[in-house]
Amino acid sequence: MPLLNDEIAEQVKEELADLTRSVELVVFTQEFECEYCAETRQLVEEIAALSDQIEAEVYNFVTDAEKAEELGVDKIPAIAVLGEGDYGVRFYGIPAGYEFVSLLHAIKLVAAGEPELSDETLEALAGVSEPVHLQVFVTPTCPYCQHSVMLAHQLAVASPNVRADMVEAQEFPQLAIKYQVMGVPRTVINENVHIEGAVPEPMVVEKLQGALAA
Amino acid sequence: MLDFKLASSQQAGQPDTEREGDRVYDLIIIGGGPAGLTAAVYAGRAALRTLLLGGATPGGQIANTDRVENYPGFPEGISGADLAMRFQNQAEHFVTSLANDFVTEVDFSAAPFTIKTHSDTYQGRAVIVATGAFPRRLGAPGEKEYFGRGVSTCATCDGFFYKDRRVVVIGGGDSAIDEGLFLCKFASEVIVIHRRDELRATKALQERAFANPKMRFVWDTMVEGILGQDTVTGVRVRNVKTDETSTIETDGVFVYIGLIPGTRIFAGQLELNEQGYIVTDSHQRTSVPGVFAAGDVQSPDFRQVVIAAGAGAKAVLEADRYLAETASSYA
Repeated sequence: MPLLNDEIAEQVKEELADLTRSVELVVFTQEFECEYCAETRQLVEEIAALSDQIEAEVYNFVTDAEKAEELGVDKIPAIAVLGEGDYGVRFYGIPAGYEFVSLLHAIKLVAAGEPELSDETLEALAGVSEPVHLQVFVTPTCPYCQHSVMLAHQLAVASPNVRADMVEAQEFPQLAIKYQVMGVPRTVINENVHIEGAVPEPMVVEKLQGALAA
Repeated sequence: MLDFKLASSQQAGQPDTEREGDRVYDLIIIGGGPAGLTAAVYAGRAALRTLLLGGATPGGQIANTDRVENYPGFPEGISGADLAMRFQNQAEHFVTSLANDFVTEVDFSAAPFTIKTHSDTYQGRAVIVATGAFPRRLGAPGEKEYFGRGVSTCATCDGFFYKDRRVVVIGGGDSAIDEGLFLCKFASEVIVIHRRDELRATKALQERAFANPKMRFVWDTMVEGILGQDTVTGVRVRNVKTDETSTIETDGVFVYIGLIPGTRIFAGQLELNEQGYIVTDSHQRTSVPGVFAAGDVQSPDFRQVVIAAGAGAKAVLEADRYLAETASSYA
């Protein structure tokens, strides 16, 4: 049974019709597939089938450890969205519910290779010379969360030093505990700074700079 | 069960800038809830060149409502998220352009009206304001500090984190009881704290609430503070009849004490009433000719999806008439 029904598949096809460059969706799963590992793989394969520009690659997290390390993938299910290069755009846990839009957004974003951010943000990011890791915790039933995820992915594409993960909190409860996630979206920057809620672009940039100054 | 929602105001493409030199839209709709999305459908059918500025939540408040059972055409009821997505999809068929941008400033002093967002400036010959309403904050000490660490205004977003834990819900209206019932799916106990001795929620919801073994009610009580260490541990409450204070232990606090209209950016531009709602006449006209308002932003009296949608339709019919009249006066 397909995960995407005909109606949704048709809309996704339309959405992805004008990708100008190719995108690789690299999925990590394992032999005895984790909860939602099989579905994540299937989702990516179904999307890849809807566009000539998208290729799905499936790796085994255990036996392809080298590839996982190369892409910085440390948990599964994982999707790395790669374009001309690796911008650091990742999804941990299945991008279902409201996060499905974030996945389509990431594909289009990485294909274009150009973020849609304000000049002020781009200027601030140009000054970032240290590594920044954004982890956006979400649940699939949260309508606000996609906003934070899409913004984090934009920042990752805009700066070679920034990488950004969507983390589906229900699939990684140990991380939800570690980072004290009790509400979503919660964005963790470099382990030391937290943002509660879906906040506007300038505020995220300010927090990001704060994390580096800390 | 997995589902995949296509509801987003970002995916429908960027504002239409192809027609250089003509960035003036016939109509700009601010707000992506039932009023704004219905307006978009009507505007499309009226062949108006329309920009919809959707804001952060596709579908507005209904997107985080567990269940909608009173919208016509859905005899079995429908989840708020699914209804929001249907509104959104239908609007996308009709609207000229869509942008998921936050409006930061408006200038309604002269037509065409100017609307600034985080990233751009737009002009419209007519405007419909449908920015809706937002959860009212308690204003008690600890609320801000523990937001996201036990304090929440979105049960559908955060309910999962309270599996087998105790939560309190503050409020006695439809939202409080509806979301409280939703939280019963996760929490071990849901304590409803209400400042009166009876609920304001509709009878059907009340019956379900009283029948739910996980729900407990604390009447005549105000929450005066939220207590915590790293995260919420309890609430300090006062009984309004006896004036006694006490502490209720809890892991989570969900605040549903009503809404405030999203009108901050319109202050000084449009006439607002004492509670901050936009004043309109029965034809959705505001104090500025050419600017219309629809939905919860303009009336706290009937907070219903069907009313907001109806008001959105009225606003476009009226805006269309206004545009025709002003166009002919230039001719």
